[in-house]
Formats: sequence, structure tokens, C-alpha cells
Amino acid sequence: MTQKEESFEPKIIAFCCNWCSYAGADLAGSMRLKYPPNVLPIRVMCSGRISPHFVMKAFQKGADGVLVTGCHYGDCHYMKGNYITMRRVTILKDLLKFVGVEPKRLRAEWIAGSEGDKFARVAHEFTDEIRNLGPSPLRG
Amino acid sequence: MEKFKKYIKELFESGEIEGFLGIRKNGLHPVPHLFTPEHPEELETLTIPDVRYPMTEILLTIVRKYPDKKLGIMVRGCDERALNELVKNQKILPELIKHIGIACSADLAASCRCAQPYPEEIHYGEKVAPVEDRSDIEAIDTMPQEERFDYWMSEFSKCIKCYGCRNICSMCFCDQCTLEDNDLIATGQAPPAIPIFHLIRAFHMAGRCIDCGLCEEACPAHIPLRTLYRKVRESMSGFLGYVSGTEGGEKDPLEFLGSEGYMVPSKIDEK
Ligand code: SF4
Ligand code: FES
Repeated sequence: MTQKEESFEPKIIAFCCNWCSYAGADLAGSMRLKYPPNVLPIRVMCSGRISPHFVMKAFQKGADGVLVTGCHYGDCHYMKGNYITMRRVTILKDLLKFVGVEPKRLRAEWIAGSEGDKFARVAHEFTDEIRNLGPSPLRG
Repeated sequence: MEKFKKYIKELFESGEIEGFLGIRKNGLHPVPHLFTPEHPEELETLTIPDVRYPMTEILLTIVRKYPDKKLGIMVRGCDERALNELVKNQKILPELIKHIGIACSADLAASCRCAQPYPEEIHYGEKVAPVEDRSDIEAIDTMPQEERFDYWMSEFSKCIKCYGCRNICSMCFCDQCTLEDNDLIATGQAPPAIPIFHLIRAFHMAGRCIDCGLCEEACPAHIPLRTLYRKVRESMSGFLGYVSGTEGGEKDPLEFLGSEGYMVPSKIDEK
């Protein structure tokens, strides 16, 4: 690894739904579980509210990775918002891949309000993965 | 052709349609035209040239103004796919719109690389074989990742933000357009931010695009837009089993849950 790559700290935006994954992130905090400061959570009401536009805007503004999180299937507080989310994320990943942006930079995870440990683990894993990928090609 | 003109005249006389959106010869130029029973003599200028116009886009403009008129429209395979989507999205009422089908010539089908160059019912022309050609997508799929990125960024950077691609598209029927949402893409500023401008449009085409290719014909910068939208169209059928432009059936699964609501996409290869 070169000096430059070693010092690369990715910027990661994590969209979290109010009812499960944000509560999970919150719990990670109350449990005093450490997760990388690279991950910046943004709260929305439901993962179904995470328009692909938000994701693209994050990349356009220089995010190296985007994490889309929500409730497990069956737990979405708006019934099935997360089904739509997963469909959109899949199509968007395939589109990113086609235009030469690594699809791994976008990841969807279901995290319950009680899974503070899962939130922390995903945040670690994803940050490592993006650090290995290097800066997003969209970063000017 | 005389038979075709007579057929339209009969539809006027029986009152089955109160207008016909077709193409007339204006000097040397074929132009879209709304023929009406009040001026049957205009049917003399009716023509079916080997060129395409955004007929369904023009139809939408007419329907917005005259929502309860019974209209006939000249449809090719692509126009019919567009009409099917417009019906599904409640933009037109199928009982008011009569399809008057035209089969495309072999030349037109070849230059359009059209996978279905004829509508369900044909009133003019002979069916020719569909053209299956995905070499444009393959060429990009086989490039290494960095090369793909550079290729698209250099294509997108030619954009002059004329909105021609959106304006010609009959699937762009939203009342408010995301491409003019100042929070996403700065308005009043050209060229647009890339790739967000093109990727937002591409994502919107997933589940809608009926692969007519008019966007690419309209683009003054010759950006291979159709290739991009054909790709999302393929992704929709590959991951979600959804093909837009077919008659009836489910609506766009990116916007509607669908009848059972539990459909999850198949897994994507991240390599
Ligand atoms: S038609 Fe071409 S130049 Fe015009 S906005 Fe669309 S992509 Fe840009
Ligand atoms: S409320 Fe959490 S995904 Fe819908």
C-alpha cells in the first residue's frame, strides 16, 4: 500500500429509517459500541423514503460509499416500504456498475432497533470494504 | 394507401373516432397532423413515411386539452408499447383511443434495431422480422470498470442540457420533473452536473422505457442514451421480471408493490 492509500479515509453516508435501523444506530451508541466516524447517519422515516436521487446526490457530492438501511422484511412500519427499497437498490447498483462505479459502494442492510451490535458491525465492515476500494471515481 | 385513407374516412363517418393523429405531407415534409371529420379533404395529404415522430407524446398534449374525445392514432410497434404504459399509468383511457396499426418496413426496423417492429393489429404494411441486437450493451459490459467510467463521463460531458431527451419522451409524463429540481440538479446552469443528471433520468427510465430510441435521435450531442436505457430495461427484466410496454399486467415494481407485494429482486453480481 502506498502512503496515500493508507491515509485514505472514506466518507460514508448511511440512510437509516426512523423505526428500526436508526434506533439500532442509537442503541449502538447507548451500548457504547464503537463504530467508525466515517459513517454519517441520516434519518428518514422509512427506507422506502430513500429515493435513488438521495443516493446519487450523495455520490455526486463526493461520498465514497452509501449505506441504505431499514427494518427487516415484515417489520417495516409502513408495511412493505423495504420491498420497494431493495428493488430500487438492486437496479441502481446495476446501473452504477454499467457506468463504471463499483456496485459495492452501495449496500442495503436490514437492522432491527434491537440490533445495535449489527449496526456497529455493518458500519465497520462497510468502512473497511470502501477503504480497500479507494476513493470513489466520482470524487473530482 | 387509398384503402387506408378510406378506412379512416369510414371511422369518421361512423363516429367511431372524432379525430385521427397521423402524418400529412406538407410540401416535401411529413409532419404530424390531427385529421378531423370536419375536414375530410385533408386526408388526401395523409402519408406514411419511413420516419418516426413522437406520436404518443403529441397525443398526450391533445388528450390533456380534449380529455373526452374519441381519437384514432397511427401506431407503430414502439408507439403501441408507449400507449400500453400510458394506459397503465392512467394517462389515457383505452376506450377512447383507437390504435391504427402500421407495420414498419425492414429498413426502418433495421435502422431502429427494433425488437418488435409492428403493433398487435396491422392496418397498413407487412410484418417484418424483429431485430435482436444487444451489441451496444455488450461492448460496454466487456470494458474494464475504469474504462466504462471514462467512456460514460466523456459522453455525458458533451451534454448541453437542452432537455431534448426528456421532451421527446412519451414516458416522461410527470407533472413535475426531477431534472428541474433545484435541490438535486442546479437549475439555470449548463452544462449539468454529471453523471447525476443522466443517471437520474436513466433510473426513471427503468420500468418505463419502451425502447423506441427517439431520445438518442433527438440528442444534439449524440450521447448514446438509448444504450443506457436499454441497460436499465434489461436490469428490470433480469432482476424483477418486469418488461414495460406490454399490455395490461402489473405496474412498475419500483413504484408499485404489485398484487402480492412480496417480490424481492434476484441477487446481483457485484464483480
Ligand atoms: S438530449 Fe442530449 S444534450 Fe440534450 S439534455 Fe438530453 S442528453 Fe443532454
Ligand atoms: S419503516 Fe423501516 S423500512 Fe420502512
